[in-house]
This record gives sequence, structure tokens and C-alpha cells, in this order.
Amino acid sequence: MDMEFSEEQKTLQSTARSFLSTESPLSMAREMESNENGFSRDLWKKMADLGWFGLPHNEDVGGSGMGTVELVVLTKEMGRSLCPSPYIPTVILAGGAIAAAGNDEQKQCWLPAMISGETVIAFALQEENTFYDARSVHATAVPEGDGYVLNGTKMFVEFATAADRVLVVARTAGSPPETDGLSMFLVDPNDVNVRMEPLNTVARDRQFQMKLDGVKVATADVIGEPGKAWESLEGVIERGVVALCGYMVGASERIHEMATAFAKERVQFGHPIGSFQAIQHYLALSITEIIAADTTTFYAAWTLDEGEPSREIVATAKAFAGDTFRKASDIGAQIHGGIGYDEDMDTTLFLRRGKQYQLSMGDSGFWEDIIAEEILDR
Amino acid sequence: MDFRFSEEEEAFRKEVREFIEANMTDTIRSKWLGGLLDTPERQEFVTKMSKRGWLSMGFPKEYGGTGESMPLAQYILNDELHKAQAPIVGKNLGVVVNTLLHNGSEKLKQEFIPRILKNEIQWALAYTEPEAGSDLANMQMKAELDGDEYVLNGQKRFITSAHFADYMWTGVRTDPDAPKHKGISLLIIDVPTPGMTLSPMNTVIGEQTNDVFFDDVRVPKERLVGELNEGWRYITEALTYERFAMTSFAPTIRKFNRLVQWVKDTELNGKPLRDDPVVRRKIAKLAMVVEAGRMLDLRCVCEAVRPDYVPANEAAMNKMWGGIAETVLTDEALDIMGPYGYLWHNGGHAPMDGDMVDDYLWAGHQRVAAAGVDISKNIIARRYLGLPAS
Ligand SMILES: Cc1cc2nc3c(=O)[nH]c(=O)nc-3n(C[C@H](O)[C@H](O)[C@H](O)COP(=O)(O)OP(=O)(O)OC[C@H]3O[C@@H](n4cnc5c(N)ncnc54)[C@H](O)[C@@H]3O)c2cc1C
Repeated sequence: MDMEFSEEQKTLQSTARSFLSTESPLSMAREMESNENGFSRDLWKKMADLGWFGLPHNEDVGGSGMGTVELVVLTKEMGRSLCPSPYIPTVILAGGAIAAAGNDEQKQCWLPAMISGETVIAFALQEENTFYDARSVHATAVPEGDGYVLNGTKMFVEFATAADRVLVVARTAGSPPETDGLSMFLVDPNDVNVRMEPLNTVARDRQFQMKLDGVKVATADVIGEPGKAWESLEGVIERGVVALCGYMVGASERIHEMATAFAKERVQFGHPIGSFQAIQHYLALSITEIIAADTTTFYAAWTLDEGEPSREIVATAKAFAGDTFRKASDIGAQIHGGIGYDEDMDTTLFLRRGKQYQLSMGDSGFWEDIIAEEILDR
Repeated sequence: MDFRFSEEEEAFRKEVREFIEANMTDTIRSKWLGGLLDTPERQEFVTKMSKRGWLSMGFPKEYGGTGESMPLAQYILNDELHKAQAPIVGKNLGVVVNTLLHNGSEKLKQEFIPRILKNEIQWALAYTEPEAGSDLANMQMKAELDGDEYVLNGQKRFITSAHFADYMWTGVRTDPDAPKHKGISLLIIDVPTPGMTLSPMNTVIGEQTNDVFFDDVRVPKERLVGELNEGWRYITEALTYERFAMTSFAPTIRKFNRLVQWVKDTELNGKPLRDDPVVRRKIAKLAMVVEAGRMLDLRCVCEAVRPDYVPANEAAMNKMWGGIAETVLTDEALDIMGPYGYLWHNGGHAPMDGDMVDDYLWAGHQRVAAAGVDISKNIIARRYLGLPAS
């Protein structure tokens, strides 16, 4: 039993913290809210140069083959600065799926370019329902000529228009809730039969409804064995979800630090408001939740790396870290008083993301139902 | 980073479980959060453990300990004992021995530690007074030096175990003129000593604690722990050990698992409870609170084994979370039962034999005793976050 970081993990943490504090301060998060891509290509390239995109991938495609624990060390730092980037959808989800299921040719074609920061790949799983797993997928892919034809509607596709490809999950067989029959396809977002409708999100990031209306995909762009996608996707998604937990924990730490610092300075009734017990108790409960969410997240990451049964702990981490970030962001703004709700204050960056991330990649209720299944149905 | 216990630790855990299985009886099992050693059967149970050397693990050889040992041994032992509702060793070992080792005179260490490690003597912790609860430093019980003895006058309240203990670990006021934190000392007192009177107080679940009255009680001055008027420091250190060693998250996990089993086995209103979507969400939310508590507990354990580190912040977080978790768990559990939730013991219809009702009534105890939820939050805010005094 040991919760210390290794030397390597400590180095990763401190490099990431100092890099992000200069290259991606909170002003970057704000600036990218009105950027058409939602992230800075320049920053993205610099992140690639640090080797971050190869972190979870094997050496044969230019990666460094590190674990989920290291991923969380990194995404926590990204969360602390609310770093806007397609890191999770591109590097962990789409990249992870190609690495896990793609053939050698596909891996060599996509991964080195992704790792060097040239290629962005979006990830399209969820549809017009609230599930974040196979139950969501109704979209169909029917064999035709040398390939498939895709039909369906994807929701919440992040950074889709800035991407070079979208990895789309569709059914070649079966129907929800079956996990058998799912397949993965690389789709060009500029295909004439793809229509992207922007969604206005509270975090002001770039998300889209993606309509696939008879989109043709060549066999070379089918990732993995048709019908068997879930076998590799399940683990990839769990990794992505845990990475988001790390991001949320980091963001929670940051807003909590901001609120604590403010409470020490702001004077009312002749005393710093941090001397008032109501304020102290909000902050004390919140930091305890954050530390619990942090430990739960690392435990989930460690469980994935150890290859142990992970469904319940991943669900617990996501629901708990999501609830924790929401609460921390909410109370963080409140402690700032009226100014906390000023559009130009950094508190609102957290306030808006706190609710959104709690609801994305499976809302808390979705994951709670999975926890209940694991506990009550086996 | 490694969330696994070592093979050696797992082996020890298994040994403890086997011991508990072989030696546990209904009369030994206790409703207290940490079981007391208040009956011959319960004391015998702990003595058997001491014969296996389990009480002396990690303590210095010169006081009857084993010397170097597995750092997590004490934690594992207490964790399993808590889980099984067995008598716990946390009070004597975790609080008294640890504090004596760090602060006591050589004479006190020689006199008490070996006997504690053999489970020959039992202890009561006597800090609280009618006017000194959360504001413990306000304790007023006087101890005045008269020759080679302190003369004690005053009252202690909620002194658990005093009715069977051999010694009382007692906070007293030795300098009434100093600021309140600077005039307190810590004394070890024989129970009984002439002039000491006990009056039992029954708690809502029928377990006993005590008022203790002191009328010219004389205590030899060698029984002073550490230095005169430095008692507050030792008491806060001891309280940290108490939050850590005497309170464990294991009972909450046990109760949660029991609730889950009951939900799985029960039909209500003609339908299996496990199929009710509201019940399912409640169970999931409780599972999250429980898992978070387990994580905080493990974090505290990892910190506590660092040499010479007293995990005050971690212990306060643990204590706070324990109070919150126990409250939501027991409240939600009774809610799920509907009107059956208020059936208490021996009625035949009470789910879980009414135990969850006890747990509900007792959850409040965890929210107030030995730095409950609010006081723990104060500690976290001041010590950990560095917020200014109110
Ligand atoms: C069953 C039982 C066993 C016990 N065993 C022992 C024992 O063995 N030895 C021993 O010494 N003591 C023991 N205690 C005493 C216990 O530690 C005290 O009850 C505790 O310290 C609270 O003190 P109090 O009861 O005087 O409540 P008070 O201090 O009067 O508190 C009343 C309420 O006010 C809140 N409060 C007080 N101050 C603050 C503040 N600054 N900020 C916010 N809220 C505050 C408290 O949280 C509580 O809710 C025991 C108590 C019980 C119930």
C-alpha cells in the first residue's frame, strides 16, 4: 500500500505544471471559448513535442507505453489549468481504439501523425440518448462494394470540425443493448454526406451533432474486426473516463485553491471571510471530497493498469469525481460573492465546466446505474 | 503507487480473520463502534491475541515489544477487529502506548507499556467535563501539588470504560492562571482511588458511559505524563491517534454490505427491492460515499506509517467523513425499509434484527464525539487550509 508518486511521475507532474502555467494559463481556456476550433494548434504542437501524445501508446508507433496512472498525473495538471485540447478524444479514445484494434498499416498511418501533433481524430460513440456505452449505438454500417455505408446520428462529438477524421462507432449487426455487432470506422468530417450541427455548450467548447446520411467508408478505414469493436473499446473508454476524472480532480483543486486564497484576503465585518465558520466548513468539506476523489481516481487508474476488474471502480470514480467537481466549482464561485458570477472572472470558467463535465462521458446517474448493477445483480 | 497489500500483510490479515472466526461469540460481539473490553470474555479474547504477540508488534523491545515489524500490522489488526465488532486494541495501544512512548518518563514507560502489551490492564480516557466538551481546553478539574502528590477536585463526564478500567488517562488543570491551553497536564490515575465516585450514564442504545466525581483524590506526582502544563500537546496528539486508531471505516463498510445483502434478499410491496430504480440509485450513491471513505482511510494509513508523523489532517478528514457516511448510510437504509425501519430489536419483523436502528441512533455519536463533523471541519480549515481564526 503506497500512494506516493514515483520519481518519473513526479517529474511528469512538475514539467506539466510549469509548462501549462506559462503556455496554457486560464486565459487560454477563455480565449479558446471563442476560437472556431476550440483549441490552439500552436499549443497542441507544443504538447506533442513534450511527448504527451505518445504517453499511452507503444514504442513501435512512437509512444512511450506508460500507464493510466501516468495519464491521470498528466490530465490532472491539464485540469488545473483548464487546458482546452482534444487530448482525451484524440489521444486516449480514438488513438487508443486504433492502437488496440487497428492493423499494422492503420497504426502506422495514423498513430505517429497523431503522436507528433499533426493529426487530430475525434471520437463519436454517443447518440441521441444518455448512455455512454454500447446501449447508445443505433447507427448502422451496411456492407456495400469495397466498404460500408453509414447512417445515423451522433451527439456530443467534440472537436469534430477541427479533426482530420472522426472515429465513428456503428453497428454492423445486432441492436442495443448488445455489445456484439459494434464496429469502428474512420470518417472524414468533410465528407459530403456528413452534416455537423454545432451544439452550444455551457463550457463553450466545440461539440457537434454529427449526421451520417449514407456515408461511404472504404475497407481500409474499418478499424478492427467488424462486430467486435466492444472488446477493445470497453477498456479504451474506461481509460478515457478515468483521464477525465483526473482532469476534474485537477480543476477542483484549482478552484478550491482560488476560493481559499480569496477567503483569506476578502474582509467583511472587519474580518477575513475565511475566519467565518460557514466559509471554513464549505472549504473543509470540499477539500476532503477532492482528496477522496483524487484517491479514488488513482485507484481506478491503478486498477486498469493492473488488469483487474474495473467496471465498478471506474463508475465510482466518474460519478464521484464529477459530483465533486460540480460542488467545488459551485461553492468556489459562491465564496467569491457577487464577483464570482462576473463573466470575466475565472470562477465562471470553473462554474460552467463543473456542471458540464459531471454530465459528460456518462452523467452521474448513468454511472450510478452501473454501480448498482455491479453491486446488486451479481 | 500500489493499492495492494503485500503478501505478508495479506497473510497476517488472514491469520487475524481465522483467529476471529475461531474465537468470536455473540457475547463478545459489541454494538460500540470500537468494541470495549468490559467483560471477562472480551478481555480474554484480547489476551489471547496478546499471547500471539499481536499487541506488541512494532513497539520497542525494551518495553516488551517485538521491535521492528510490519508497519501496517496494527492497522490491519484494528481493521479486522472493527469489521467483526470485536473488542478493539486501538485505545490502549494506539492512544496510550503511542503517546507514552513519545512523551512519557522512562519510569512510566517501564511501568505501563509492558503490561498493556500483555493486556493486563485496561484504560479509560478522561478529558471531557460538563463545561469542556468540544472546547476541551476549557477543562477545569483542579490538580494541586501537595508534597509529592497532586490533589484532584472536579468532575469528568462521558468517561467510557471507567467502570471497569484499571487506570484513567486524565487531563487536569495545573495552572489556573495561565492561558487555557498552557495550564493543562496529563495524569495517570488508579481506578479506584479514594475520593473518586462513578455514576453511570446510559446512552440511547443502552451502552454505558460514566460521570466521574473527584473529591480530594490524591495522585503521586510521578504519574505526570511528560512535562507539567504541557498536557494539551499530549492530549491533542492522543486525540489524533484516537481518531485514527479507535475509529475505523470498516464498520461502515460492514453495515453497507449487510444492507446490500438485505436489499438483494427482500421483497417489498410485492416486488424485489433490488429491481426498484430508486433503491438502486440510493445503493449506488451510498457505495460512492463508502468507497470514498475507504480511500480516505487508506490514505490516512499510508501517511500514519511515516516515521514520527502524526496524521492530524488526514485523521480529521477521516473522522468527518465517517460521521457523514454513517449518517447517510443509516438514514437511507431505514428509508428503504419504510415503516419496518422503525422496528427495533427482538420484534420478529425488524429487518436486520433492528441493528440498523441502533446504527442510526449511534451515528450522531460519531458526529459529535472526539472531534465530530463540525470540529473536524474546524481542524481541516485551520490546520490544513490555513484559514484565519474566527
Ligand atoms: C457515548 C459517548 C462516549 C464518550 N466517551 C468519552 C470518553 O471516553 N472520554 C472523554 O473524554 N469523552 C468522551 N465523550 C465525550 C465526547 O468527546 C464529547 O461529547 C464531545 O467532545 C462533544 O462535547 P459536548 O458533548 O460537551 O458537546 P458540545 O461541545 O457542547 O457541542 C454541542 C454541539 O455544538 C457543536 N460545536 C461545539 N463547538 C463548536 C464549534 N467551535 N464549531 C462548530 N460546532 C461546534 C458540536 O459539534 C455539537 O454538535 C463521549 C461522548 C459520548 C456521547
